[in-house]
Amino acid sequence: MKAFEWTNPTDLNQAVKLLSNNAGDIDDAPRPIAGGQDLLTTMKDYTSRPTRLVNLKNIKGLNRLSLDAKGLTIGALITLTELEEHQGVRKQMPGLAQAAHSIATPQIRNLGTVGGNLCQRPRCWYFRLEEVNCLKKGGSECYAVTGENKYNAIFGGGPSYIVHPSDLAPMLMALGAKITVVGPAGKRVIPIEQFFTLPSEGNIRRENVLKNDDLITEIFVPASGFAGSSTYLKFKERDSLDFAMASVAAAVQKSGNTVKDARVVLGGVAPIPWRVPAAEKYLIGKTLTKEVMNETAKLALADAKPLEKNAYKVPLAQTLVRRALAIAGGVTA
Amino acid sequence: MQQQQPAKPKKKIKVVRPVNGIDQEVEIEVDADSGPGWGPNDKHTLLNHPWPRVDGPLKVSGAAHYTYDMRPKGMLFARILRCPHAHAKVTKFDSSAAEKMPGIAAVIQGPLTELRYAGAPVAAVAAKTPELADDALRAIVVTYEVLPHVVHAQKAAEPDAPKVVAEEQNLQQKAKAGDLAKVEAAFATADAIVEAEYISARIHHACLETHGVVVDYSGGETATVYASTQGTFTIPKDAATQLGLKESDVTSVVQHMGGGFGSKFGIGVEGMFACKLSKQTKTPVKLMLTRQDEFVMAGNRSGAWQKIKAGVKNDGTLVALQARQYRLGGVGQGSQAGQPYIYRAGDFYREIYALHTNEDATVAMRAPGHPEASFAMESLMDELAYKIKMDPMEFRKKNLRDPVYHRQLDRGAKAIGWERRNPVPGGNPGVLKRGMGCAVGTWGGGGNDACKVDVTIGRDGSVLVSVGTQDLGTGTRTFTRAVVAEELGLQISDIKEEIGNSKLGGANDSGGSTTAASLSPSVKDGAYKARMLFAERVASLFDNAKPEELTFTNGNVSGKGKTISWKQACAALPSAGVTGHGVWRQDLQASGIHGASFAEVEVDTETGHVKPIRMVHVQDGGLPLNRLTMESQINGGMIQALGMALWEGRVMDEKLGVQLNPGLGDYKIPGSLEIPEMIPIIDDDDKREVVIGIAEGCIIPALGAVVNAVFNACGVRVRETPLTPDKILMGLMNA
Amino acid sequence: MSKSHDETNGKHDPSRRSFLKGVGIAGAGAAVVDRIWVEVEAKEEQPAAPETLSGNVKVVLDVNGGKVPVEVEPRTTLLNALRNHAEPALTGPKLVCDVGTCGACTVLLDGKPAYSCLVLAVDAASRKITTVEGLGTPENLSVVQSAFIEKDGLMCGFCTPGFVTTISAYLKKNPNPTLAEVQEACKGNFCRCGTYPRVFEAALAAAKSGRV
Repeated sequence: MKAFEWTNPTDLNQAVKLLSNNAGDIDDAPRPIAGGQDLLTTMKDYTSRPTRLVNLKNIKGLNRLSLDAKGLTIGALITLTELEEHQGVRKQMPGLAQAAHSIATPQIRNLGTVGGNLCQRPRCWYFRLEEVNCLKKGGSECYAVTGENKYNAIFGGGPSYIVHPSDLAPMLMALGAKITVVGPAGKRVIPIEQFFTLPSEGNIRRENVLKNDDLITEIFVPASGFAGSSTYLKFKERDSLDFAMASVAAAVQKSGNTVKDARVVLGGVAPIPWRVPAAEKYLIGKTLTKEVMNETAKLALADAKPLEKNAYKVPLAQTLVRRALAIAGGVTA
Repeated sequence: MQQQQPAKPKKKIKVVRPVNGIDQEVEIEVDADSGPGWGPNDKHTLLNHPWPRVDGPLKVSGAAHYTYDMRPKGMLFARILRCPHAHAKVTKFDSSAAEKMPGIAAVIQGPLTELRYAGAPVAAVAAKTPELADDALRAIVVTYEVLPHVVHAQKAAEPDAPKVVAEEQNLQQKAKAGDLAKVEAAFATADAIVEAEYISARIHHACLETHGVVVDYSGGETATVYASTQGTFTIPKDAATQLGLKESDVTSVVQHMGGGFGSKFGIGVEGMFACKLSKQTKTPVKLMLTRQDEFVMAGNRSGAWQKIKAGVKNDGTLVALQARQYRLGGVGQGSQAGQPYIYRAGDFYREIYALHTNEDATVAMRAPGHPEASFAMESLMDELAYKIKMDPMEFRKKNLRDPVYHRQLDRGAKAIGWERRNPVPGGNPGVLKRGMGCAVGTWGGGGNDACKVDVTIGRDGSVLVSVGTQDLGTGTRTFTRAVVAEELGLQISDIKEEIGNSKLGGANDSGGSTTAASLSPSVKDGAYKARMLFAERVASLFDNAKPEELTFTNGNVSGKGKTISWKQACAALPSAGVTGHGVWRQDLQASGIHGASFAEVEVDTETGHVKPIRMVHVQDGGLPLNRLTMESQINGGMIQALGMALWEGRVMDEKLGVQLNPGLGDYKIPGSLEIPEMIPIIDDDDKREVVIGIAEGCIIPALGAVVNAVFNACGVRVRETPLTPDKILMGLMNA
Repeated sequence: MSKSHDETNGKHDPSRRSFLKGVGIAGAGAAVVDRIWVEVEAKEEQPAAPETLSGNVKVVLDVNGGKVPVEVEPRTTLLNALRNHAEPALTGPKLVCDVGTCGACTVLLDGKPAYSCLVLAVDAASRKITTVEGLGTPENLSVVQSAFIEKDGLMCGFCTPGFVTTISAYLKKNPNPTLAEVQEACKGNFCRCGTYPRVFEAALAAAKSGRV
């Protein structure tokens, strides 16, 4: 870990100012730290080399967790444990509690925060190795394209083929969350679908629209007709501790036996949480029969473009879509 | 003129030994002053019982001090600079900037100028903190001439592949056996033939305590080297050479160590660097490998690539086998047992090759070469059995001569419920399908005469057993006490042991399951001799009874109708007490163990996920010294095999030549959610009254059992470890 | 700098932080920050300049109920502070992976399990830290520690402090767990020798004793 300056701002203005100094590429810029459960790992292998850490934990007002008729407000400093154990969330947005629970290990969830989970860096092993200067680190090549790409993207790839590692992100996208961000120009609210960026459209060094001196302060999850049915299924190669080989966040609102509204977002398959509107649209007005769920799964993966070693993600994600829909829709798979 | 040693008086005794796989009583010659044997396995008061390990209280409370925990005053922290290229020559080395950094005490360049794998050690630094050492590594400027490399075995075997070692072929034939003409003729008589290729990934030891040493040297004539090693006595000589001291002036200390599994002998490159840095700075130095260092430079289990063809008769008789075996040892030789492994195959022919790649040299790992060979052979046996529609267990029995395997297979089958197994692969209904598999294995486990043990009985009633051996977590301390306590009629808590120090009596390195069979006979010999000396000294308390007339039970000494408490009897000893010097007794140990493993798994046929349900392993080993720790070790063998079967494997990038998963996140050892119901079974039908090491035996067949269970469950035969969900799911999709 | 630099008034001045850029270990004693974790009072209208630490700083950790002063850099992890800087060293938590993938360094922060390799020492100064040494000693073992010995939930012992710590905290949260719950609770702790089945047994036995 490279030496850095540790700063303890007590309000957001201070924090933003401290982050704006020495701005450069994300890997050398000052970084905010909350739980630090991902950031410190990138610093230990010198993948990121911040000159300054800006501790967010002394800033008041970032640890609100409240649920009311309008929806759920999650402060950026809320830990994953706090989110997963919140009784109201468990009941009214079960998929969100499941997604939080699916993350890493109890130790990491005790310190890791919701804001940090959304901003964590990719797990691609080419990215994480200090010895390798890959495209996402300012190099010239995404080695996953022709290399060991078993865990890489089947959607949205190019020129980088990372998958987004967050488990909360797909679920929050399924639930239509909005992210409040504070930067030098003040506060702005970003719909989660506009938060994450594909390598081909945004800054390839980043995974989202944030600038170096932007901070997530809060996430708002609106109450909806489908949140109560929400479900998160995560498939791991090793159950004890692993990132998703593929995951699905699903939610279904039914009227009688008919689907009124639905959300299907895939995780672990693309550089961003991968929402599949075609599948959602198809479901509307349907009864959740086996055939309908099969067809939805097919539609959800229809545009997948697997690399040499990750074709398995197609049938795997199809299975997860079917199973998640069955749970969300209260039918048998 | 060398003086002729007077021949030691001998006597003849009878012991149980396997002859052609069957236990028989044979007569052997032993020293006349040897005590009696162990006696029947079911007549022990302490041995062959379950005892909690005596170092438990220290280990569960963080009070056990490992090498990694040592911090002599003023100690510097050292780190190694690794080569980032798979093959390169160092053309320029500039450490001037690094040396000027704050807190940096020394930078030294390693001896190698041509580096043949990514991760090869180039230099080392010593600094006041590990953080400063990390900085200094990155300030060293090394210029490399990058050379062509090859890291994938199949590519390395191609004729135009880059050469790993300039003057050598990548592919070298190392051995062949059998008669090819006979095998070809025998294939003509077979009713069914299976021909397949099996690949087993390179596995990492993943010792939780990385390799490393703490060199406590501040100038002067003597040094103490704390080492995380499996061989206390493999340290002083090399450390002394590096430090420029006399071997006798260097003491190695190994009180507790955090796992070795075959990888920790000698001071290693880390010890070499640490000693040099300590010598140069005249300051204590700690050099523990980082986790990434550990993955890329501390050695790993040989990979294997095996092409095998075998023929069977419809009655299950294996008539012919032909194998081409590649040992994948990186820049080293690798290891692999010859096929048909433990099976009788009529005629066989095999060729064994070493195939070099630009990866670090493999080193011994728990039963080196055996799980690799066993995986291929047990997979093949399974394939043959299914092909001729024979129960895989019966098929194995048909081709195993040794009745012990038959007994163990029957026992294991009962424990796992083999009768519940669906003989049709993938034949169970539903999406989650269960299946079972089995396999068998063997190992030596005999000892050697390296151990010199002192057992001292004090006038205060204390008993101290001293020997320089090391306890890797196998329970060495505990059985050492138990052997002495049983001999003297005392309790385990009445004995103290001192081990893990090269100034104590010599001991063998803990490799190849040799410790128990080397140490326990020597301890028993020491305890017996101490007992006889004791008996002579206290004879007057017992109407001058002869030493062999005294009995030692329940903390009392009895003879000629008198019983006196241990403590009272000890008070009659001279002030120095008495010491028995134990040496190895060949008759108290043997070589040759058997094991049978069974596994039941559940495959999710829509995701490829494998959930281990149950594992059984039946293990013989003569006299179990401690049933509790022996069962733990059997569990450990099964769990490590489970990891090899389902999750573990080094991943190399062909283009960059680097390992992509050099950490415990991406290299996936089993965790708590991977663990099935474990049933370790000690084979008490083994009546041999000898000690045999079992650590290697219990890792070998469990691998094949899991692999075969996956096939039985879902009908997909994956011939390359690990059997990860992607391989299984694609197999199911393509079925 | 609106506040006094006078250290003799007994009050801690949050603006008076160390600015020790580039100071090597040898020079560190010159500037002293005894306690770096200070809440700025909410009343203050103009917040004080943010506390800034670099170079070598003194931190007082609250470990096992006692004060443990250490001199570290901001980048020093809690694990390294305990092992390399505390006097005497606290080496119960082990350094194994150093990136939160093994659990051997598990300590309790305010009673909750955390990886001490993923916490900076400067960030831990306000927390109540418990290491395995604080749970029981060889002479006075805790119920969980005794159960580990009795069930042989250890071999080489390098993962053991982490498992003991994780399970001790979990049994306080859930005194009567199922096997599956125990497995879930310690999925962030890894063992290489293969002690898991007996670690689970030890946890269940400790719970069953009702004395945790």
